Amino acid sequence: MNTIVLHELSKNYGKNVGIADVSLEVKKGEVFGFIGPNGAGKSTTIRTLLGLLKPTSGSASLFGEDAFIRGHELRRRVGYLPSEVHFYPEMSSREILQYHADLVGMQGAPAIIEELGTYFELDLERPISDLSFGNKKKAAIIQAVMHDPELLVLDEPTSGLDPLMQNKFFELLEKRNAAGTTIFFSSHILSEIQRLCDRAAIIREGRITAIEDIGTLLAKQMKKVRLTLGEGHGTTLPEGAKNEHWSGNKVSFDYVGATAELIAWMAGQPVVDTTLNEPDLESIFMNYYRR
Amino acid sequence: MNLALYTKELKRNRKNTAIWTAIVLGFTLLIQSIYPSFAEMGENMATMMESMPEEFARAFGMDENTWNSINGFYSTYYGIYITLLMGIFTASTGATIIGKEERDGTAEFLLTQPLSRGNIAGTKFAVLGTLFLIVYAIQTVVAVIGMNIFGGEFDWAPFIAMHVHGFFLVAFFTAAGVLMGAFVSVKVNFMGPVVGMIFGTYFLNAISQATDGAEKLGYISPYHYMPLMLEQGQLDINPWACAGFAAAAAVMVAVAYWRYLKRDILG
Repeated sequence: MNTIVLHELSKNYGKNVGIADVSLEVKKGEVFGFIGPNGAGKSTTIRTLLGLLKPTSGSASLFGEDAFIRGHELRRRVGYLPSEVHFYPEMSSREILQYHADLVGMQGAPAIIEELGTYFELDLERPISDLSFGNKKKAAIIQAVMHDPELLVLDEPTSGLDPLMQNKFFELLEKRNAAGTTIFFSSHILSEIQRLCDRAAIIREGRITAIEDIGTLLAKQMKKVRLTLGEGHGTTLPEGAKNEHWSGNKVSFDYVGATAELIAWMAGQPVVDTTLNEPDLESIFMNYYRR
Repeated sequence: MNLALYTKELKRNRKNTAIWTAIVLGFTLLIQSIYPSFAEMGENMATMMESMPEEFARAFGMDENTWNSINGFYSTYYGIYITLLMGIFTASTGATIIGKEERDGTAEFLLTQPLSRGNIAGTKFAVLGTLFLIVYAIQTVVAVIGMNIFGGEFDWAPFIAMHVHGFFLVAFFTAAGVLMGAFVSVKVNFMGPVVGMIFGTYFLNAISQATDGAEKLGYISPYHYMPLMLEQGQLDINPWACAGFAAAAAVMVAVAYWRYLKRDILG
């Protein structure tokens, strides 16, 4: 069964296209990545799915029901983490979270708020206006997960979180997913998608350009390779190498292909030092689309 | 209507409501408290009225009876200031009660809750109605107390008519504020347009009354149809005007509601 189905969903802002004919399916229990550069249409897709924006055309369903007709009821089963967090500044985190619990009709909220507040090391009593961006994000994460939703919709969820908190957050997501929660994970950071997701859709300029298993995506992913080689190195690079630049015994090139094959090639070379970098997202896309 | 949203919105608006209520009450009592001094001047005031240009007196709803009773005296200021103050408060609150969520970015929090837009708008309008009734009821009660303290016995009928008309006039302005908020960008500071609407329509009516050639100007002012000031010490309730204003307010709120259901929520 699919938790989310988008069918040719389009949203225009006047003459400007926000998203065009976006179609995808997210299976129950899946962690689905939604990746694209800033301004590609990720947030527009999510905000249309959740009813904030009115679609120009197309349809969307959540849990098998029409998301535009019954959205307000279905949202009880959804936890949403926006990319930018805006809460009522005069309220404390505890008040915001209790207010959310009241709106959702949740029982036993105080104990869960306390538990999650401790887990994310958030001072629940401080007014929202006094919180840093990262702490607001923690409050928003707690709000998204506290009512134990069947679907988590996360829009750029790690922005503002330090690496330690990102790790705790990912651990929580992994636990929730293991317990059956479906996760729709929107990000422009490929490594985050790699870590968590089973499949991912790539969106660019408002259109879905590919929906791939993460394994396939990784196989097509370009890496920037830098090598410092010792005496007697060859000059033939592995298949899949492009844009090579030699400087004495140092070489840099872009590599597209299986990582195992690259390592096998390197094993036959007198490698002194190496770095493999994830290129910026635009480079990945440019590379991806050329193939 | 959602009780959690209703309670939170009331709490969120309490400080603003308390400030405006204090201003309106202070003004009410100030006006009534100075009546005894004017009443003592009695004939002098009547003489002054005779020397005043008739158009000027008409514009501000004054006649020789204005100074004879606290009802007449109070009605002059009720029409000029008190309904204006209440209208500015409720109309500006009405203009922002929904749009404020978008301006502050909290709309994303609220509209991704399991609440329909109709429920949110209905609850917000219920909050607005409650705030309006709080200010209106407290002002009326304090006005009655002030009338008794500073004026002694008074004629209830024109007092009630004045306040009934005031109720529908302020309700009309409140609904106009809601309508304005539904169609104007949320980034606009609504206080200016709201004050402009209320003062503008008041002065249009005043000019139309003061100037013989400009009667028609008053037709576009709600004050023209809903008199608040006593004439020769009397004022009768105009049920047709009340019904018309109630219907107009209902239509404006319904249009704003429909607009809210259909539009994109930004921020």
